[in-house]
Amino acid sequence: MTGEGKARVLRDEKGERAKFEDIEVGKDLGSLEWIITQEMIDAQCLMDEDYHEWYKIDSPFGGVIAPPQITYRPPRWLLSRTYNVRGLFYKWQMENLAPIKPNEKIIISARIVDKWIKNNREYISYEAVGVNEAGEELFRTRRTHVLDYIERTAPRTGVGIDSGIKAESI
Amino acid sequence: MVIITKDTELGTYLPPVSRQLRLEIFKKGDEKTIHTDEEAARREGLPAPVAVGPQVAAVIFKMMLMCFGEGWIKGGKWDLTFRRPTYVNDFVTAKGMVKAKILEGEAIRVECDVWVEKQDGEKVIVGTASGLVPRGD
Repeated sequence: MTGEGKARVLRDEKGERAKFEDIEVGKDLGSLEWIITQEMIDAQCLMDEDYHEWYKIDSPFGGVIAPPQITYRPPRWLLSRTYNVRGLFYKWQMENLAPIKPNEKIIISARIVDKWIKNNREYISYEAVGVNEAGEELFRTRRTHVLDYIERTAPRTGVGIDSGIKAESI
Repeated sequence: MVIITKDTELGTYLPPVSRQLRLEIFKKGDEKTIHTDEEAARREGLPAPVAVGPQVAAVIFKMMLMCFGEGWIKGGKWDLTFRRPTYVNDFVTAKGMVKAKILEGEAIRVECDVWVEKQDGEKVIVGTASGLVPRGD
């Protein structure tokens, strides 16, 4: 089932959806500062149902660390600050360059790096990097989203409930 | 405990990690999303609420931490494709196999094919993941 015969979403509860034509390759999505707390780590472990003593008690890196995948959301927030993209997650590349620790300020920046059409669907890619205050890179990531599950030749007349714009919290 | 070492042979299977998904783990307050609400999903052309991709991939990350320990946290990489939607009540299992060992500075990068299968055997996530192990020489 691929949603044939249905309408793509034109707008949702947060406003009009970004169109493929609106997405600018090379666009700077800006940056944000983020401090991970133990509560966020606990929330991530609960979501993933992945409990490990390194995430709660201590680790070989000198204190508690966060699961690397906790970094999924902030780059997505940056995307959503510029473009209202719901769609579906299609590809996720990631490099864990250094352990991420609670109470450490991370500066995350992102930009659009590509867009293309394949199998009658629209894809966009963006990259993000996270560094600490000392300038040490903690992670690098590239993600690809398909803008609509429904094929691009379907009329864009639908009204969605969900939005790509979310509360910026874990 | 680290499972993969410099001596692990190519073709070795990683220990699988499974998870029973359920709608509750995708909820954030009262928000109606394609992950929690039938109507929100249908309006996007989806037959039912879909699981949050990173929370499905989490079984891969758990498997890789178990296999590589510190070499996953510092030096780990993944490249995953979410090739089919996973639904909120699916049972998913991460699997993997060692496919290459590459010298990288003072360490060896052990690259693995990884994937997530649903209960019917369909691979919903495919890709590669790797971690570092000491050269020990």
